[in-house]
Amino acid sequence: MLLDYDRLGWLRAGLAGFTALVAAFLLLPVVFIILLSFGSSRWLAFPPPGWTLKWYQELLADPAWIDAALTSAKIAAMAAILSVLIGLLASFSLVRGEFRGRQLLRGLLLTPMVLPVVVFAIAIYALFLRIGLAGTTIGFVIAHTILALPFAIIPIATALEGFDKSIEDAAIVCGASPLQARLRITLPSIRIGIFSAAIFSFLASWDEVVVAIFMASPTLQTLPVKIWGSLRADLSPVVAAASSLLVGLTLCLMIVTALLRRRLSR
Amino acid sequence: MTGNAFRRQSIAGLPAGSAGGLPALTLVGLFFIVPVVALLLRSVTDPEPGLQNYAALFGSGTYVRVFLNTFLVAAVVTAVTIVVAFPVAWMLAIMPPALGSIVFGIIILSMWTNLLTRTYAWMVLLQRTGVINRALMGLGVIHEPLPLINNLTGVTIGMVYIMLPFMILPLVGTLRAIDPMTLRAAALCGASPFQAFRRILLPLSLPGIAAGGLMVFVMSLGYFVTPALLGGTSNMMLAEMIAQTVQSLLNWGLGSAAAFVLLIVTMALYAIQLRMVGARRLGGGL
Amino acid sequence: MKLILAGVLAGLLSATAAKADEMVFTSWGGTTQEAQTKSWAEPFAASSGIKVLQDGPTDYGKLKAMVDAKNVTWDVVDVEMDFAIKAAKDGLLEPIDFTVVPKDGLDPRFSNEQAVGSFYYSFVLAWNKGAVSGEPASWADMFDTKKFPGKRTFYKWSAPGVIEIALLADGVPADKLYPLDLDRAFKKLDTIKSDIVWWGGGAESQQLIASGEAVFGQLWNGRVFALEKDGADVGVSWNQNLTAADVLVVPKGAKNKDSAMKFLAAATSPTGQAKFAEASGYAPINTKAKAEMAADVVKGLPDAHVDGQINLDMNYWAEHRDEIATRWYAWQTK
Repeated sequence: MLLDYDRLGWLRAGLAGFTALVAAFLLLPVVFIILLSFGSSRWLAFPPPGWTLKWYQELLADPAWIDAALTSAKIAAMAAILSVLIGLLASFSLVRGEFRGRQLLRGLLLTPMVLPVVVFAIAIYALFLRIGLAGTTIGFVIAHTILALPFAIIPIATALEGFDKSIEDAAIVCGASPLQARLRITLPSIRIGIFSAAIFSFLASWDEVVVAIFMASPTLQTLPVKIWGSLRADLSPVVAAASSLLVGLTLCLMIVTALLRRRLSR
Repeated sequence: MTGNAFRRQSIAGLPAGSAGGLPALTLVGLFFIVPVVALLLRSVTDPEPGLQNYAALFGSGTYVRVFLNTFLVAAVVTAVTIVVAFPVAWMLAIMPPALGSIVFGIIILSMWTNLLTRTYAWMVLLQRTGVINRALMGLGVIHEPLPLINNLTGVTIGMVYIMLPFMILPLVGTLRAIDPMTLRAAALCGASPFQAFRRILLPLSLPGIAAGGLMVFVMSLGYFVTPALLGGTSNMMLAEMIAQTVQSLLNWGLGSAAAFVLLIVTMALYAIQLRMVGARRLGGGL
Repeated sequence: MKLILAGVLAGLLSATAAKADEMVFTSWGGTTQEAQTKSWAEPFAASSGIKVLQDGPTDYGKLKAMVDAKNVTWDVVDVEMDFAIKAAKDGLLEPIDFTVVPKDGLDPRFSNEQAVGSFYYSFVLAWNKGAVSGEPASWADMFDTKKFPGKRTFYKWSAPGVIEIALLADGVPADKLYPLDLDRAFKKLDTIKSDIVWWGGGAESQQLIASGEAVFGQLWNGRVFALEKDGADVGVSWNQNLTAADVLVVPKGAKNKDSAMKFLAAATSPTGQAKFAEASGYAPINTKAKAEMAADVVKGLPDAHVDGQINLDMNYWAEHRDEIATRWYAWQTK
């Protein structure tokens, strides 16, 4: 009854209306930022006195923004590759391993997701200053890989749990080496999990700001650091333009993801 | 016959099947555990060995007030998030996939939009001269602008906004796992929709609500950017206090002590959560 | 696996500390740092061949962490003067090499052994003409919610300024401000606490006033200058304007100390100071700079409003910084 869409009756209208409201609530700031980016008011007055493209021109004319975007993409890509590889290995252990402390290990590897990021940021900055990794690409990648790892392990481990291990064993019986069986049979079967892991860990790094603020150096700034600095220092609508482009990028990524998922799950 | 292939290959001296976890453990050990422990050591050594930082922390009305306020904000945010997320998750669990995927798309889009810009958008939307107040005044609903920002209301709106996906997505899973037959049976036996909700749907989804709620609560405890931008100075939360202590007062010892307290509380709640749902299901909705 | 890892990590250890012919200048971002770049860094790079990398915003926590870890990437940092005095005492700063930096012309109020002036500014009373009826004339008006209803905005952090404003508004004569009577100041601030919106950075103060979110407030004069240039409808009162200064310091263990000293010489030179003042609306700390500036610009500087001007006591603040900060944040969170 209550879980049958067609038999909900008046409740359905209520739930649908509420859901629509919440969807609007979720969309509101995103749409608002896009509108602001075309507004001509320097001080973000809304509704704006006129419409303009000048913030986009300013954005594209400033190499610092483009540099920051490229830096972010580079660091996020490397953090994603590393956390997927390490997460994949760890997931096999966590799902298939039979050893004491397996739950403890799982809890430990997922901790970076719940530990307040301020604490981690201060701690890792102090360490990296001492060993000379602060402000380096590799320092950024290490810190972000740690934050991204839980987001890689969760989908991969979930996919691996749903995979019937006897198929892999059957391949071994038929003469494949254990490694071959894994590469040829298991990995392709959990590819959706791996794919989600890659996307989530990429985003975990791409959108990370607190650690990045500490780690950034004059020659190495990620996009969130640039946005943070701009919000604090001059509040220019260029930030809105940059954000709108990011929303557009996100939309493209989502569409690609959906298409790929559809193809992969065929 | 299907003998454990993985077990056979395990590296000598290591427990069966644990080798794959080594790279992750090394990384997390070296660059997570070590720096965090080093930071915590600082709380009892900086500026001199002793517990004076903790004495200062608990002896000051300010810090105690900030602790309490942090819990209050996290609790309010969690409660509101649950109440708003439940009907949406319910609808998403049963609605036709074509329609549902639009709502899912919106949820994902909001989640993936830069956190700073989302928060910034709320600042401009919620201020006294902002869009929401002007619209309400234009409609004649209110005559004086409502104070929506620099207070608990602002923090709650901004944080609920960020937390909603983390509550909705796992809840959809929980609700989908409930067999609709149970509810049909209840209806056949003459239960009113309200009774069926209270006696069956709600109890069956309670584990999901509790797990998601705890997750939101824990995440809210350590939040930094959003409360700093949308809250007033009297709503300061612990994470901001820690940053301020380290950055403006240059008091690393005291900041570390506060960080340690936040860490202990978070870890304790995290342990409860692991107990409740098992680490396997944690964040399963992602 | 190892190959991929090696591939990912290879060549990433790009050292980001500035090379021999480079140095790092750190300031607060926004229009101020832009002006500093154009007036100091670019001409300096052209004449000396030393490339100046920009970083920011200034973060005292980061500065201390760098010095503590003996890994300092910042060579010259723009900081508030009271911080500089305190930091020098804590051993965080290099002494200034006055054989490289000419002392001649430097305003002695804003220079000492470890710091040379960057610029000096005034806190002024600015308002949105569209949102205020009448003209607020003194700090006391900011505490009069009957005559001037609406939100007022003050600087959020513990720093020279707001305490003094509260005391002046409460009737303390300018020459009796120090030692600060904190109890009296907080009592006065309590009377308008619920009407205060705090600004944490210059851009925020501009946005609050320009949008009318706050009807008036305590702003840096350079930010008001920028608002006027952008065509915002703001009024300003220089009555009892409060001066404070930013100074340039070299953190202890800076990697390019020699370049840093040369940069300081260029930044504090009459020409560098004159150019910066014209671009920012802040006042030069080199007394010879005014000779090189257009007369109408000189008229808009804090220098032109010495009547009733009050110098905030940086030495007092440096000495009581921590004690005041503790009380300040405790009061704010109440």
